[in-house]
Amino acid sequence: MSLQLQVNQLSWQINDKIILNNITFNVSKGEVIGIIGPNGAGKTSLLHCITNQQQKIKSTQLTGNIHLNNKIITQYSAKALALHFAHVAQKSAAIFSLSVIDIVKMGLLPHKSLFAVENDHDRQQIKLALTKVGLAHAEKMDYNQLSGGEQQRVLIARALVQQAQILILDEPTNHLDVYYQHQILNLISQLNITVIMTVHDLNLASQYCQRLLLLDHGQLIADGSPEEVLTEALLCQIFRLPCAVTKDVLNQKPRVFFSLPAQQTSNLNGAN
Amino acid sequence: MNKLLLTLMALLLLVLISALAGLNFGPADLSYSQVFQCLTGNCADQISQMVVWQVRIPRVLVALVAGMGLAIAGAILQNTTRNPLADPYLFGIVSGAGLGATIANLSLESIGLGDQLNIALPLAAFLGALFAITIVIFIAKVLQQMEQLLLAGVAVSFMLGSVTQFILYFGDPFATNRVIFWLMGSLSRVEMNNFYVIASVLMVTIVAIIALHRQIDALLLGDESAASLGVNVDQLRLLMLGLCAALSATIVAYCGGIGFVGLMIPHIIRQVIGVTTLKLVMGSALIGGSFLIWVDIIARSALADAEIPIGIITSALGSIFFLFIMIRTRNTH
Repeated sequence: MSLQLQVNQLSWQINDKIILNNITFNVSKGEVIGIIGPNGAGKTSLLHCITNQQQKIKSTQLTGNIHLNNKIITQYSAKALALHFAHVAQKSAAIFSLSVIDIVKMGLLPHKSLFAVENDHDRQQIKLALTKVGLAHAEKMDYNQLSGGEQQRVLIARALVQQAQILILDEPTNHLDVYYQHQILNLISQLNITVIMTVHDLNLASQYCQRLLLLDHGQLIADGSPEEVLTEALLCQIFRLPCAVTKDVLNQKPRVFFSLPAQQTSNLNGAN
Repeated sequence: MNKLLLTLMALLLLVLISALAGLNFGPADLSYSQVFQCLTGNCADQISQMVVWQVRIPRVLVALVAGMGLAIAGAILQNTTRNPLADPYLFGIVSGAGLGATIANLSLESIGLGDQLNIALPLAAFLGALFAITIVIFIAKVLQQMEQLLLAGVAVSFMLGSVTQFILYFGDPFATNRVIFWLMGSLSRVEMNNFYVIASVLMVTIVAIIALHRQIDALLLGDESAASLGVNVDQLRLLMLGLCAALSATIVAYCGGIGFVGLMIPHIIRQVIGVTTLKLVMGSALIGGSFLIWVDIIARSALADAEIPIGIITSALGSIFFLFIMIRTRNTH
């Protein structure tokens, strides 16, 4: 697998607050990577740095560098970056009644010059993307009337039309029920492009990501396969809760259980 | 797509019918056939030639482009600020124009150049409007909150309005009257030149919108989303605000205050045609143009021997329209 993204000793500070601290990792083409960690660990901030969206924040101090295809990320124009990264945000509310197809069409933007009109190829791309996420029937529907899972799928379809090489997702399963959580992650893992996403649910991360980055207080604590990262010792230390890791009977991936300290005595004592 | 094309063709037809209707209304008693003869260059007499070509055609054309311009400015401001209540008037443009007109009126009168007002008044109004919008943008820039533009606009509007009223209170009553009537909006003094100027600014704005419609659409899902698609959000918003300000300032300079068109028309178009920028702008232009022609017809013909200022009619219709929308929304919920 060829190297696509290199993050080198990345540190980010806003005023005196350290957001990210000396983070180094590489991403190869086609990897599905999950960023995990407690609230405030710097997961979303790391995504912002990777996509170079952090410059808008005042009094920001960034050291280290990020290379995309062997070129420093700050040398890319915003439009060129949009050809490399497709970003699916946690929650995007549409003002006015935008239809599904209106939103998916937005993915054409980085590919179109100022006066270019939509052609048959574009329309085909849009149709294909909608079919891939299972929304071919819904193109005229009002985006705001869709369920959270369907909205996520619309945004993923937009990312597909954008034809970026790396898909960035911030908590794609937030606010979704169990069915949609699995449906979305299954869809993402089968797209055959590089995926970097933040995930809260460790078991979903374990099941759908090939590789996990564990962050805490802005530092990269562990980087490896779910089996390497999701260990009892590490998780207890980072999440400050007694925990047990077993094997999932269905997919043989690590399965994590947490419990409150008060219940520690009952059955999870051994985890500490 | 076919449905959209059909709707646009129907709206184009509406514009044509409105324009023809506009040409047939007026104090001079001309029949349809007389007007038609004049349009084709076979005028029966000099007076009807003058009425049609120097009074009615400029008036209808200015009503058309002013309506188009105000509706487009409203549509673009609403989409770029993601605020359905955005309107050129809320950005301080009219109060700025009012202040400019007031200063021109009073100062030219006092130095004995009162006869230059025909040229000076629109110019001063235009400069006043640009001055207002510059302050609005400056405030939003200093606060680094481009999304607060509308609030800055309302604040500047009141500020300049109070300065204008202060000056008028101590000013010459005749000049005060003139400014107040001008602020009510009227097409009774427009000339063909006004049409050319407004149409040119309108064309530039439309070309910019066609070029940037995808970028503007991307804003509808939020700034972050647009930025991730490669849009320079602040730059785009500033450019569009500048263009809308120049367009509405030009219209206000020649026609005075005409409220509610930019607020009302895009609202209707969103229900009927669509919310994305190109559809919204095309629909708003065609409906806005026809609307103002009809409002002007009412302004000219409602009273037997006087004209009603056009801004009074648009404001009245606009407020009724909003009550209607409120009632309808309540009933559907």
